[in-house]
Amino acid sequence: MTTRTVLLGTAAALVLAPASAMAERERGSSGHLNIIYWQAVSTMNPYLSGGTKEMNAASVVLEPLARFDNLGELTPWLVDEIPTLENGGVAEDLKSITWKLTEGLLWSDGTPVTSADVVFSYEYCTHPEGGCSYRDRYAGIEQVEAVDDLTVTVHFEDVTPNPYLPFVGAGSVIIQRAQFQDCLGARAPECTDANFAPIGTGPYVVSNFRPNDVIEFVANENYRVPTQPYFETVTWAGGGDAMGAARAVFQTGEMDYAWNLQLAPEVIEQMEAGGRGELLVDFGPLMERIELNFTDPSPDLPDGERGTREHPHPILSDIRVREALSRAIDRELLTEIGFGPMGMATCNFIVAPPAMASPNNDNCLVQDIDRANELLDEAGWERGADGIRVKDGQRLELLFQTSTNAVRQDFQALIQADWREIGVDTRLRNIDAGVFFGSDPGSNDTYLKFFADAQMYASLFEGTDPTPHLEQRRCGREPQPSTQWQGQNINRYCNPEYDELWAELNREADPDRRQELVIALNDMFVQDYAHLPLVARGRVSAASTTVGGIVMNVWDSEHWNQAEWYRIEE
Amino acid sequence: MLSYTLRRLAFAVPTVLIISLIVFLMLDMAPGDPTGSLPLTIPLEVREQIRQSLGLGEPVFVRYFKWLQMTVITEPLHILAGLTGWDIAPGGPRILSWQTRSPVGDILVQRVPQTLWVVGLGYLFGILIALPIGVISAYRQYSWFDQVGTFVSMVGFSVPTFFTGIVFILLFSVTLGWFPSMYDTTHVVRDWNSFLFQAKQIAMPVAVLALYNASQISRFMRASMLDNLNQDYVRTARSKGMGEQTVVLVHVLRNSMIPVVTVIAIGIPTVFTGAIITEQIFRVNGLGDALIRAIYVSDWPMVQTITFIFAILIVLFNLIADVLYGILDPRIRYD
Amino acid sequence: MTKPRRKLVEVRNLKMYFPIHAGVLRRHVGDVKAVDDVSFDIFEGETLGIVGESGCGKSTCGRAVLRLYDITDGSIKIDGVEIGSKSQSALRKLRPTMQMVFQDPQASLNPRMTVAGIIGEPMDEHTDWSKARKLERIYELMDAVGLNRNFVNRYPHSFSGGQRQRIGIARALALNPKFIICDEPIAALDVSIQAQVVNLLEELQDRLGLTYMFISHDLSMVRHIADRVAVMYLGKFIELAPRDALYAEPLHPYTQALLSAVPDPDPASEERVERIILKGDVPSPANPPQGCNFCNRCPKVMDICREIDPEFRELESGHFVACHLYNDAGQTGASRHEHTQQGEDA
Ligand SMILES: Nc1ncnc2c1ncn2[C@@H]1O[C@H](COP(=O)(O)OP(=O)(O)O)[C@@H](O)[C@H]1O
Ligand SMILES: [Mg+2]
Repeated sequence: MTTRTVLLGTAAALVLAPASAMAERERGSSGHLNIIYWQAVSTMNPYLSGGTKEMNAASVVLEPLARFDNLGELTPWLVDEIPTLENGGVAEDLKSITWKLTEGLLWSDGTPVTSADVVFSYEYCTHPEGGCSYRDRYAGIEQVEAVDDLTVTVHFEDVTPNPYLPFVGAGSVIIQRAQFQDCLGARAPECTDANFAPIGTGPYVVSNFRPNDVIEFVANENYRVPTQPYFETVTWAGGGDAMGAARAVFQTGEMDYAWNLQLAPEVIEQMEAGGRGELLVDFGPLMERIELNFTDPSPDLPDGERGTREHPHPILSDIRVREALSRAIDRELLTEIGFGPMGMATCNFIVAPPAMASPNNDNCLVQDIDRANELLDEAGWERGADGIRVKDGQRLELLFQTSTNAVRQDFQALIQADWREIGVDTRLRNIDAGVFFGSDPGSNDTYLKFFADAQMYASLFEGTDPTPHLEQRRCGREPQPSTQWQGQNINRYCNPEYDELWAELNREADPDRRQELVIALNDMFVQDYAHLPLVARGRVSAASTTVGGIVMNVWDSEHWNQAEWYRIEE
Repeated sequence: MLSYTLRRLAFAVPTVLIISLIVFLMLDMAPGDPTGSLPLTIPLEVREQIRQSLGLGEPVFVRYFKWLQMTVITEPLHILAGLTGWDIAPGGPRILSWQTRSPVGDILVQRVPQTLWVVGLGYLFGILIALPIGVISAYRQYSWFDQVGTFVSMVGFSVPTFFTGIVFILLFSVTLGWFPSMYDTTHVVRDWNSFLFQAKQIAMPVAVLALYNASQISRFMRASMLDNLNQDYVRTARSKGMGEQTVVLVHVLRNSMIPVVTVIAIGIPTVFTGAIITEQIFRVNGLGDALIRAIYVSDWPMVQTITFIFAILIVLFNLIADVLYGILDPRIRYD
Repeated sequence: MTKPRRKLVEVRNLKMYFPIHAGVLRRHVGDVKAVDDVSFDIFEGETLGIVGESGCGKSTCGRAVLRLYDITDGSIKIDGVEIGSKSQSALRKLRPTMQMVFQDPQASLNPRMTVAGIIGEPMDEHTDWSKARKLERIYELMDAVGLNRNFVNRYPHSFSGGQRQRIGIARALALNPKFIICDEPIAALDVSIQAQVVNLLEELQDRLGLTYMFISHDLSMVRHIADRVAVMYLGKFIELAPRDALYAEPLHPYTQALLSAVPDPDPASEERVERIILKGDVPSPANPPQGCNFCNRCPKVMDICREIDPEFRELESGHFVACHLYNDAGQTGASRHEHTQQGEDA
């Protein structure tokens, strides 16, 4: 991973704003900005929510030490430079990292930001009774040490080749110790005032917060860039629906920015014709895929053995069948129907950041029914009278489940038809998203239990480092009775070569070599047809044509450079 | 009547308690998970810790009684304290929404005004439109007025509010630009201009609801008027030589209002519940919106409290309807 | 005792048709001929009884006479004033002189008005009396019909059926009417109370010189109260005669059949008639048979009955009948109708 030391925000600002116009802009000169989140924000403390919407709203107030820019590259934020091996910020043994806060930083209440606040943020989120949503960012830390007022050293328990998780990105922000010191652990929810209006270092201060309804912000008088933020006040409305939010930007012009417009492609197209706004799409790691079950989900198996590695899947254990299923799918068509400009057909497990995406797997992009049929013939599956293939008296029949969602049900129907063509009989099932994605070990309908042959959902990883995401597919990481069905190796993949390669990645500190290893792991996984990538899904927002300075960012909060947004004068 | 009312009230208490228990247990057993709506990037161990921090570790009956005590005592006192400034708010834990981690009572207090304004006005205007239409439709049964009225109310009744809402937005916001398509809950009426803005932003959701309510109530009014118009006492009134206006407005209308008033009273709880769709379309973040979003993300404390309030309202307004019936209709006697 | 009397009510060719609409467009497809060309007089101070089976149009006839309907055709003169074609608003001033006591005392009283309201309302409308004066009159009326004054602020539902009918009567009397139509005023009451109410009506008639049109399906009650009796069948009068003449010597086969069914108050009477059982159902008033309305059920039916509707004519003095049995062939169809009737003392 390359790191850059650039002055805060200048890169983006230089690219996007004509220098002459920039000179005239001052703090507050752009007046008022209206943002609409159709899923309203429920708290301003990201540690207590974990939702993207809360993280985004909080990101204009609370900031991390470093964040990812729109290209997925680390950018110093409350520090002057990113600590690296070269500059000595990362220890040679890869067991600690030392951050140096920018001098003179102030909280919005005028008090100085110190290393104690950083240490406190770590303590707050790792308190065992706190239920902090970003707890995993602070995993494997032995100690966070305040070396002096502005210097913090994070000591890891083990060799940590990627030390850029704690205090990096919109999820692991620095909160003010003075404000939150009585809110540790079980008392966290009691601090409603602090949770709703945290004191931060960001460009804005909460002036009014109505949970799940609306937030009003005013510019932070103590913001470190004297000319920013350009908008004096921001109303961050919540509620309504995606359609209404899109309409308010594209058609009526009531709103300047609308987040997360998951709408049918034709609707978006029609709305854009309104001419008042433009669509902002960027692709991150979010990817819609089909998982193929390596274990037997048959209800005839005794409890505790069903869906475990004790019983390999009778049909899908054969790679030829898995490949046939993959080749029979028309990914381009799915993308067009389901996501339009907001999706990209893919054959990769790791689809982003661009440098990590493998160039080696594009063969699946074109549907190949003939090849799929050949593969099944080779595997000994012969067509029966009804066109469905049979082998040793067993019909080629699969149960295909997903969450209840219009696009997913369209996908299910299309894939069912594709598979039907190669003689596979697919039974479809959809489950309420709350149940499907829930982790209740008592329910047989969760994606974790995976009591089906194939299932479809989207998944992603936080930040730009896919190492933890790749780690999930290691042997033994699968949901199983002994872990109360928790675990993220959803398809119960188990390949010792994969595990070895991952271990190598986990030891490696050299960015270029890491990149190679990620691609190698990705290729091993997808060329095993262990799961079938379908569509890389973009983040979609919309902005009024009268607002400049917006830089869409899928690696961090979309509002990462909120301070630089401005009103374009006609 | 008083003893009847008191007896009914006494009976309502266990009813409401049983409803609350059922609601609580049903939600508790519901296959949703408060961490189910969190991003998949949050690891399962963290989810488990979040669940523990929400108090889900305790046995269900302990949680029920805690919740009941807080709903019935703590939250109302806090709300009262907030409204009056009296120092009566008790210490101790409050019901916390899992989404916001803030007291449910505070959120409800924020939500009630816009719901009352929008849905209440929608109901009120609906009634005001419906009554004259129902009276005239019945009095001139089968006239063109009645035919048009029947048609319009059929349309108003059968076309869902989300459809009328969107048609209104497309017409009056997008095309004509007269009204805002989104409701601003932070708007404060201070002077004539801000009042005008409030009137503008409330116009469309109120119109949608008024249309829907009017079509229902006008049908009731019409049917009830028709029932009465053919009664002998109307003939008696005519034979007394009373003017037609007196006959219709005093004799017929007052008798026809008896069932209509009770229907209206029974419908009042829907002023709090029934506008979920309209609230979402126009972004009026009221109680209906709070409920539906809480359901989406399995925020059970919120759902339990709101449904409990609705249950109380429904039981209460049914009682009020019965009592009203007794007051309005001298033939009814409850003892 | 046979001095000629003044005609208080004169009805000529009264028709009350209710239109029947059908289809989506509610086109006019026919009429219910509830009252079809009826003519009669009522003399001052007498009681004209109207009898007939349920549904034959008695109530409609009564309501039409009081112009509670806008009649289809005909003329109605009450106390010399033609009201058949007057507008409802013009009629309002005349209403106090003509009143009606309805069959169902419960339904005919507004349930949301007290006794005072019910009785007093016409005074509000037609007089400028003071409150006290009105209350005085209300008490007076309550006394007159035998209601306890203390009940003045009660609602109708808290009274018994007989008491309610007394309220109905008091209400009808409020503004000193001359003519009262009693539409089966006792049909809904217990037998024990029926006599009380009838006695009250007779007593009031004597005291106040009222003229009654007394509608009933109960022949013996009519015999008791009426001076003259008219028999209705399917919207038409088929026989009208002084009471004793009618009961002693009914002319129309329908009247004969009706009377044969009445239990004789005197079982020893030798004049007991064989009971005549009528076959068939009453036809619908929307679709009466051709010729005589009774032809499909008449035990003495002739061919002519199925072709020509018999005229309602005076056979003997004061005894009118509409039947071909009493027509000479030559007279049939001739318009020899005269409207000179003699009243008789009861
Ligand atoms: N308002 C009305 N509309 C239509 N038909 C009516 C109406 N009132 C009475 N009728 C019909 O007229 C006929 C006579 O009714 P009515 O005068 O009530 O009979 P009676 O009082 O002799 O029992 C019946 O067939 C009845 O159905
Ligand atoms: Mg009758």
